[in-house]
Amino acid sequence: MKSKYILPLIMIVAAIFIISSATKDVSTYGNFDTASSTGDRLKIVGTLAKDKPMKYDAENTPNEFAFYLKDEKGEVKQVVLQKPKPQDFERSEQIVLTGKMKGETFVADEILMKCPSKYKNEEIAIKKES
Amino acid sequence: MSEISYVGETLWIGYVCRLLIITGFVSALMAALAYLMSVRTKADLNKSDAWSKLGHLGFWGHGLSVVSLISLIFYAMITRRYEYNYVFEHVSDDLPLRYILSAFWEGQEGSFMLWMFWHIVLGGIIWFTDKRWRVPVLSVFMLVEVCLSSMLLGIYLPFTAEDFKLGSNPMVLIRENLEAPIFSNAQYLSLIKGRGLNPLLQNYWNTIHPPMLFLGFASTLVPFAYALSGLMLKEHQEWLKPGFRWALFSGGALGVGITMGALWAYEALSFGGYWAWDPVENSSLVPWIIMVAGIHTNLIANNANKGLKSTYLFYILSFLFILYSTLLTRSGILGDTSAHAFTEMGLEWQLTFFLLLFLISSLVLFFFRLKSIPESNSEESMWSREFWLYVGSLVLAFSAILIIAATSLPVFNTIIKVFDPSYVGMVLQDPIEHYNRYQLWIGIFIGLLSGFTIFLRYHLGKLTKSFLTSQAIYLAIAGLATFLISRWVSLPQWQFVLLTFSAAYVATANIDYLIRMGSKNIKLGAAAFSHLGFGLMLIGLVASGKNSYHLNNPFLFRGMSDEEGFEEKYIQLIKGKPLLVRGHMVTYESDTLIDRERFYTLDFKKIDKDLNVLDSFKLRPNAMYSNDFAKIAAFNPDTRHYMGKDIFTCVVNLPPHLTDAELLRQMEDSIVYETIDVTLGDTLEYNGLKFVFSNPKFESDIPEVQKTDHDFAIEIPYQMIDQKGEVINQGASAISMKGSLVYKFPEKIESEAMRIRPSENTIDQLITPENELEYETFELKNGERFSFAGHVIELTGFDRDIKNEAYESEEGDLAIAAILTVNTPKGEEELKPIYIIRGNRPFGLKDYSSDLRLHARLISINPAEETFTVKMAKDKAPSQVISMELAKDVPRSDYLILEAKVFPGINFFWAGCILMMFGLLMAWYFKLKERKI
Repeated sequence: MKSKYILPLIMIVAAIFIISSATKDVSTYGNFDTASSTGDRLKIVGTLAKDKPMKYDAENTPNEFAFYLKDEKGEVKQVVLQKPKPQDFERSEQIVLTGKMKGETFVADEILMKCPSKYKNEEIAIKKES
Repeated sequence: MSEISYVGETLWIGYVCRLLIITGFVSALMAALAYLMSVRTKADLNKSDAWSKLGHLGFWGHGLSVVSLISLIFYAMITRRYEYNYVFEHVSDDLPLRYILSAFWEGQEGSFMLWMFWHIVLGGIIWFTDKRWRVPVLSVFMLVEVCLSSMLLGIYLPFTAEDFKLGSNPMVLIRENLEAPIFSNAQYLSLIKGRGLNPLLQNYWNTIHPPMLFLGFASTLVPFAYALSGLMLKEHQEWLKPGFRWALFSGGALGVGITMGALWAYEALSFGGYWAWDPVENSSLVPWIIMVAGIHTNLIANNANKGLKSTYLFYILSFLFILYSTLLTRSGILGDTSAHAFTEMGLEWQLTFFLLLFLISSLVLFFFRLKSIPESNSEESMWSREFWLYVGSLVLAFSAILIIAATSLPVFNTIIKVFDPSYVGMVLQDPIEHYNRYQLWIGIFIGLLSGFTIFLRYHLGKLTKSFLTSQAIYLAIAGLATFLISRWVSLPQWQFVLLTFSAAYVATANIDYLIRMGSKNIKLGAAAFSHLGFGLMLIGLVASGKNSYHLNNPFLFRGMSDEEGFEEKYIQLIKGKPLLVRGHMVTYESDTLIDRERFYTLDFKKIDKDLNVLDSFKLRPNAMYSNDFAKIAAFNPDTRHYMGKDIFTCVVNLPPHLTDAELLRQMEDSIVYETIDVTLGDTLEYNGLKFVFSNPKFESDIPEVQKTDHDFAIEIPYQMIDQKGEVINQGASAISMKGSLVYKFPEKIESEAMRIRPSENTIDQLITPENELEYETFELKNGERFSFAGHVIELTGFDRDIKNEAYESEEGDLAIAAILTVNTPKGEEELKPIYIIRGNRPFGLKDYSSDLRLHARLISINPAEETFTVKMAKDKAPSQVISMELAKDVPRSDYLILEAKVFPGINFFWAGCILMMFGLLMAWYFKLKERKI
């Protein structure tokens, strides 16, 4: 009977250990402030600052796209994304970036955008006169 | 609005669909209740009673309703009845018929129907083949169908806050669903066109992947229903055999569905990978892992009379996690954690209710019956097969818990926020890293367990000598294999060495098992095939996942240059300019538009240090335009497959003005042309460069010019020369005229960011205007010759069938063309001036040969004398000074940004996945055959 319980017991202990160690993979979204103070690589959520310039020079620096992001606290800072400019970028409602602060610029290498679904677009396309 | 009588609507389809939805719902409800009553009265299961007969009626009534509903919606989609919302949303005039299936399940309603369809098919098979279990099993089926049908009801519940909507009827009229001014027009239907299918989904993968995945989803219901039946009837042993069979099928079907999803992502989408631990992927993987755990405990239950409770739980959970995955992916709760875009239908509460209903009822039933579930109390040995099978199942369950817990973070956040609105949600900072780190250990354990468990015997408690010897050999071979693999791909950390070792071990052991046992009895080989597949899949994961690399310039780090630096993943390719990236010479050669896709032909040459070409091939990734061609909607990859690796390419970006028609218009508008008078043959300096324009050609072989309709075209060749007078570039621009419309064909000098084109004035400079021509008159008889401007010209006949495009015939016209044949050194050429009498008023249409620079007019016809008056003129010598338009600083259009990625050993991954599913389906097949005997 005993050997039957030893292994599950070990596994439960291991499970508790693993899950408790996994909690360090989890944290809240950061903002420019926390990114500056910690210097860690983290996720920032915000919206595109549409009144500020965007720069993407596909000819010379195809792997670099610069724009301004307004984080959840309302702070606006420049972001340099180490990727080509994503499609439909201007339409994004929310942007999640992964990266870290370098001086006054947030350097990101991953981006997830939330775009309005095409189903919310309640316009009705009218047939073109042929 | 009610007073408007709309034109062209086919309203009966909507009425019939609504009727079918309601009959489908009611008959499912009736079947579920009747079957449950039949189970409760617990007569002999093999005999039918009144309740079961009523249940059958409901079952087939439901099946017929759903199948008819689906057929009718298809009919509406094929016939493009845009008055219906679902048709309008997913179909358009230009959607090819082959994508109708994809369009059908693009929307949530369609995918619910697909899911229901498979339930009906599977339920029908059980109805025909398992008379003993069909009543309880189908009672569960029909309860699920009640919930799924309710998703289509589209009824507003009375007495609820803000009109709670139950389900969404796909076949409501668009004018009932949307409010728009257009619906005040009775003719609105003739004005609208459908929105059409998302271009990303216009792909054959979207025709085959969803039905397969939904078959997998639907199949998890069968073991679940058998398990619940066993619990309901307290027949804890009897359901195991059919349950096991269906679990094998379900494991295979769901596994194939998930693998196809990975293949789709890899082969046809721009993700640049096959698995990203995305919540949507995870939530379909978890039920599969639990199903596989259930299959293993079911094996224990079949052979050792143990593990029955776990089997119940695993089969129940597998289906519950399918429901959970539906809730996750369709409620919008995943929000910003998933790259997949899903539509929200406002059905989250209904889905939650659906999940809770089955969660609570099945678990309550399980705990009520817990005491009656038999479990052998015999001591189990450490070295019996059942013990290690059980351990393996627990490891799998553990894997599933880890994955789903992390995937459910957004759900936890949402729930906590209900109680504490100020709570700030938690996210995984680096999801891929996180999942890999923990699942790696699951892989190692499962690998090690599957390497020896299959050689153990049930009930037996001793290790035999031959077992230990062969295990030692497997471990030795695995060690050697790990060493060889580490020579081939890099194993960056010791964990990966261990994982590779575990994978090599399970593969070796199961190959030996196949040889020794499978050769005697092929039925025994099924498990070994799956385990071998698992090992190969792990090797593939390590090789392709940890060792994939971008074809780029490895020394180029740019941007925020600091100690780490960012690798430049993507490369810029300029048309015609080869670029060397990690041993490959890549050239962007050309682009071609086929239908709505633009294909970019890339030439790859693998070269060694001495620049010898080792391999040469072409890849054609493409860009797909949106349905209205206004912009690029998606980039699709193209991959070169080798045995040992893949080279994946996908365009990631293009010059902005080539991705969007609006940007192109803005770009064209922003070009500033400067008009410059140039003397032919002289050197013009512009933009720091030297140009020489040479004699115009009065014809053009520029393809764009030839493609467009024109009366005449003028081509002006140029040469670009360097300081020494050597030609560095040459080409030509052109201008053409159709009627009074002028078309310009600029020459784009991409390398200098320049454009050159003729000015409109060049036409007058090169072709003498009509009022400056000096005509000479000739009176001719048919066949008569005359000479003009050095040519011998003959009136060779007439033509009443006039094909001149400048001439539009009218009723009552009398028209005739004279055929003037001109002898030229190159051969004969014809001029056909036309003489027309329209309503007593004669007039003529001249003909012009740009080659000969001759103008011809037919002035009059004298029928009595049979003579014709013809006027001829020749252009003056063209001006030596022409007006050209030049522009500089034009954005270039001749480049693309490419992702080129090498995946070593990816075929191990695919082969492993295929073998795993093959093993499951093979076991299912043999169980099916056993049953028939």
